[in-house]
Amino acid sequence: MSIGIAPPATVSSATQTSAPRSLWGDAWMRLRRNRMAVASGAFLVLISLFALTAPWLPFLQDPTLQDLARGATPPNPTHWFGTDELGRDTFARVAHGGRISMLVGLVGTFVSLVIGVTWGAVAGYVGGKVDEFMMRVVDVLYSLPYIFLVILLLVFFSKSLLMLFVALGLVQWLTMARIVRGQVLSLRTQTFVEAARALGAGTPAILFRHIVPNTLGPVIVFTTLTVPAVILQEAFLSFLGLGVQPPAASWGTLVSDGAKVLALFPWLVIFPGLAMSLTLLAFNFLGDGLRDALDPQGSRQLRP
Amino acid sequence: MSPRRHFASFPFVVLLALSACTPPARDHRYFGSITPPQGQVFRFNNGAEPEGTDPGVISGQPDGRVARMLFEGLVTADPQTLEPRPGLAYRWESSADGLVYTYHLRPGLLWSDGTSLTSRDFLYSWTRALDPITVSRNASLLYPVRNGERFNKGELTDAAQLGLAAPDDSTFVVTLENPTAYWLFLNSYYTFLPVPRHTIEKWGVRWTRPEHIVNNGPFNLAYWKQYDRFEFIPNEKYWDRSAVKLERIIAYTVDDLNTSTNLYKAGVIDWNPSGYIPGPFIPQMQPFEDFRKGSYQGVYFYSVNVTRKPYDNAHVRRALNLAIDRLAITRDVLKGSREPWGRITPSGYPGYEGAVQVAYDPARAREELAKAGYPGGKGFPKLNILFNTSEDHRRIAETIQAMWKRDLGIQVELSNQDWGSYLQATTSLQYDVARRSWIGDYLDPNSFLQLLTTGDGNNRSGWSDPEYDALIKLAARTLDPAERFRVLQRAETMAVEAAPFLPIYHYSTIELVKPWVRGLYPTALDTHPLKAVFLDHEWQQHQPRAGGNQP
Amino acid sequence: MITFLTRRLMLMIPTLWVIATLTFFMMRLAPGGPFMSEKDIPVATKTQLLHQYGLDKPLVQQYGMFLVNAVRFDFGPSYKYPQQQVREIIAEGFKVSAELGGWALLLSLLLGVPIGIIAAVNQNRAPDHAAMALALAGVSIPNFVLGPVLVLVFSLTLYWLPPALWRGPETRILPVLALAVSYVAYIARLTRAGMLEVLRQDYIRTARAKGLSERVVVLKHALKLGILPVVSYLGPAAARIIMGSIVIEQIFAIPGLGRYLVIGATNKDYTLVLGVVLFYASFLMALNLLVDIAYTWLDPRVELR
Repeated sequence: MSIGIAPPATVSSATQTSAPRSLWGDAWMRLRRNRMAVASGAFLVLISLFALTAPWLPFLQDPTLQDLARGATPPNPTHWFGTDELGRDTFARVAHGGRISMLVGLVGTFVSLVIGVTWGAVAGYVGGKVDEFMMRVVDVLYSLPYIFLVILLLVFFSKSLLMLFVALGLVQWLTMARIVRGQVLSLRTQTFVEAARALGAGTPAILFRHIVPNTLGPVIVFTTLTVPAVILQEAFLSFLGLGVQPPAASWGTLVSDGAKVLALFPWLVIFPGLAMSLTLLAFNFLGDGLRDALDPQGSRQLRP
Repeated sequence: MSPRRHFASFPFVVLLALSACTPPARDHRYFGSITPPQGQVFRFNNGAEPEGTDPGVISGQPDGRVARMLFEGLVTADPQTLEPRPGLAYRWESSADGLVYTYHLRPGLLWSDGTSLTSRDFLYSWTRALDPITVSRNASLLYPVRNGERFNKGELTDAAQLGLAAPDDSTFVVTLENPTAYWLFLNSYYTFLPVPRHTIEKWGVRWTRPEHIVNNGPFNLAYWKQYDRFEFIPNEKYWDRSAVKLERIIAYTVDDLNTSTNLYKAGVIDWNPSGYIPGPFIPQMQPFEDFRKGSYQGVYFYSVNVTRKPYDNAHVRRALNLAIDRLAITRDVLKGSREPWGRITPSGYPGYEGAVQVAYDPARAREELAKAGYPGGKGFPKLNILFNTSEDHRRIAETIQAMWKRDLGIQVELSNQDWGSYLQATTSLQYDVARRSWIGDYLDPNSFLQLLTTGDGNNRSGWSDPEYDALIKLAARTLDPAERFRVLQRAETMAVEAAPFLPIYHYSTIELVKPWVRGLYPTALDTHPLKAVFLDHEWQQHQPRAGGNQP
Repeated sequence: MITFLTRRLMLMIPTLWVIATLTFFMMRLAPGGPFMSEKDIPVATKTQLLHQYGLDKPLVQQYGMFLVNAVRFDFGPSYKYPQQQVREIIAEGFKVSAELGGWALLLSLLLGVPIGIIAAVNQNRAPDHAAMALALAGVSIPNFVLGPVLVLVFSLTLYWLPPALWRGPETRILPVLALAVSYVAYIARLTRAGMLEVLRQDYIRTARAKGLSERVVVLKHALKLGILPVVSYLGPAAARIIMGSIVIEQIFAIPGLGRYLVIGATNKDYTLVLGVVLFYASFLMALNLLVDIAYTWLDPRVELR
């Protein structure tokens, strides 16, 4: 993956970026026409609101309330999604699990965003030997069994949420850095940057006030696609017992626990699984829609 | 495109071909396939990968199972009662004071490579197990031997001072430190098995690999692949070769409980041993005739770190102890697969009554907590329950978390650690309350009560009481069995009252055994001599069988 | 080309050194050690154990010894399984993992590329939507759900295939399938995107104008460039397959290398973890190098530097 060509498409999208207003307007038009993307967006807003407000929703039961004598009941009018082996309401657990999964997805993505954007912007803007070195680091890291380091990190040190955010963010920033670098590379010779430099703006100011905002399109697209990837990663870590620790539960923990009793209590995997898969699907549809809208030919090659 | 398409469809062709095969026989009385394997081939899941198979060094159930197939000691355990039976020694006698045991070996014993096996091999093997250089995990089982403990702890370097002697090739004499009521029971433990000196000196730590190993038990090791399987074939040099009916044993290494049970259901294995059935599946399996449940010498408990405040206060510990609803845990969480238990020693020692069990009593629990200065849990610091990563431990911890919150008003958090960190935390007393369990090594209450003595490496609660220690020492010196048990019972009552250990449940063995397997019995220590096991291909004519327990 | 190769190989050395150092110190800083057991071991015995493995020496000296041995790819015996050399464990485990991963990658290429082509050729029509919906569904179902579902259906209900183990060919089918599905989806999406990009290009229009059949245009002219994203994905895909195989190997009790990492980390088996991590890192870097070389062969516009 160390091929020294800038995709021609990036240049064309950069020319569009220099006229931001029409770009965002056009993008919005294009996005609205994509029915799947709009539906996905609406679904995501709904499910996020639901997850966010879960602790205060009156019709939700306490997700930690146990009813040992009535464990593992199939879906019924009091427990819409049934109960788990400890008699806890699966519906409430899915709602609260969504909170955690979304949180992990968003914060993990945010971490990767911060590292990736900074790294990519600096590399692209400074250029030359520094760029060469920084991108070589990315290339090298790309080829690493990154997940190993994550596993080691979580096994050896704490399995706290914080560590989980950091570990997951660390996995995802590489692609982000590449995208941003490509964008910055083509932007730094644009006239408005030259103008800012002529007016005596320092490098950080130019970088973060003028250049980074103009890479927003591809970054938004990629962010939308990173969130589901992080959620899935957390689920994978949950399967290994390294994800969110009880009594907190994410969709990942619910699904991986449910998968173990699939033959007995299928509802314990079906409902959290459905919630997770639909959310992942929606993020992917929305991401695809945004890409088609914002960046019709751009960063496609950098997926997934 | 065409060769590609052809190739891509390969798995589906296989699927189709397989679907044309006849599915295995089924019967609603049994769990899964009831098509037996061809010939006398016994297949089972041995569980986690053994760390090794050197009997003098290893510890653990899967490791021991393999060692016991490959080696045989002076004394073997009865396959049903586990009582001492003649093994390589055809008889033995003990002195009147219970201090000297003399074993007489069978004539003409051979190692699997044809060299002869004598009492000198036992002298070598037992000395080796006690030698600190060997790093035997279970050397403490040999501590009753005179000077054994001091030698193992490096306080004595002269092996000649050990109470072990081989006056001639067929006689082995052991002198003990104190009379030890359970000495012969101990003898059938795998640490007491003989090992071949000439092979060990030649190959070092790699002597147990299939290409090097020399053994003396009913089976030889024919194949081993790590995390895959062991295969065994009969040992032609074994003194009792005619008693071995199996032609081959395949012991798979499957550590995942679901996978193990799936393999049993699909008919790939004939025996799914205890500990390898996922908890939630147990209630569904109870009606099947190939489901077996038996009592097991083990207790699951929570250990309280008495070196930390406020757990140094016995009232606090008693409050925690009284607020555990053991019945709810075993009935609802464990679905009746275990028995609620309220004392330190398990059941099943003939003649030993044991301490009165602690029962669930929320009112008294609150009283105790108030006495400790935390009425209604007010001002009580957040309690942390430590457990190693496992579904069942987590479910139990979550349940107890809810109970203590409900009955005592205490905030409880759970921390789940991997095995290594968990052990580190428990041994270095870095916890509030930790999940633990203890499985008896031999059929005697001492196997459990020894744990709580001051400075015992397995105490791990920081609890120490000179009076308790004195009672345990007194019991060790007491020759009269009834009197000895009375002393031990007094000690146990003390420990239950002080509550450094909060017992939760009594283990059971729960296993699945295909109906054609004969000679495999549930036992109190969950050990199963496989020497006399065989497959009955006419099993359907030998119906009905009582609960799957009798051959 | 030669300079490119030497440069890349030179780069691998400091990279591996960083990984080795990071893993070594991370492991040593973590609580717990390799010789913890539920039953207590006397102090004399523990001292002896530490001595045998050189763990009683100063950490810096241990690090130096480890580096020297790592260069020779000799990590010594596993702490947990002393009768096995780490080298032996890696050799045996990798054979299995490589077979599992290789089949899964092959299957996903053989299914994913055609699906992607069909979708691209029929852009925005029913087959495209169907293929992409299927692909997205594949990405959204974690393989630790797919595995048990396949086992439940094919092993425990229909009794067609064994539910686990790694022995005859029949034991390969379910784990390979469970591992391949998400890659089929990724590869189909990549192929579609790549093909769409290429089908818009002038030279394709020229080819069409010359009157070449659509089949020839798509399969002969467009595919070679359209598949480039897939080729560049193969490096990361191999890394991802390893991640997936940790799960699959656990569910299907397959004696592969992925499991040893988790087992080794849990047991604090220092030598085993270091060996597995270094081995995988070198393997992946070599694989990426091959991918880059393949890239130049497919796309003459790219030159290696």
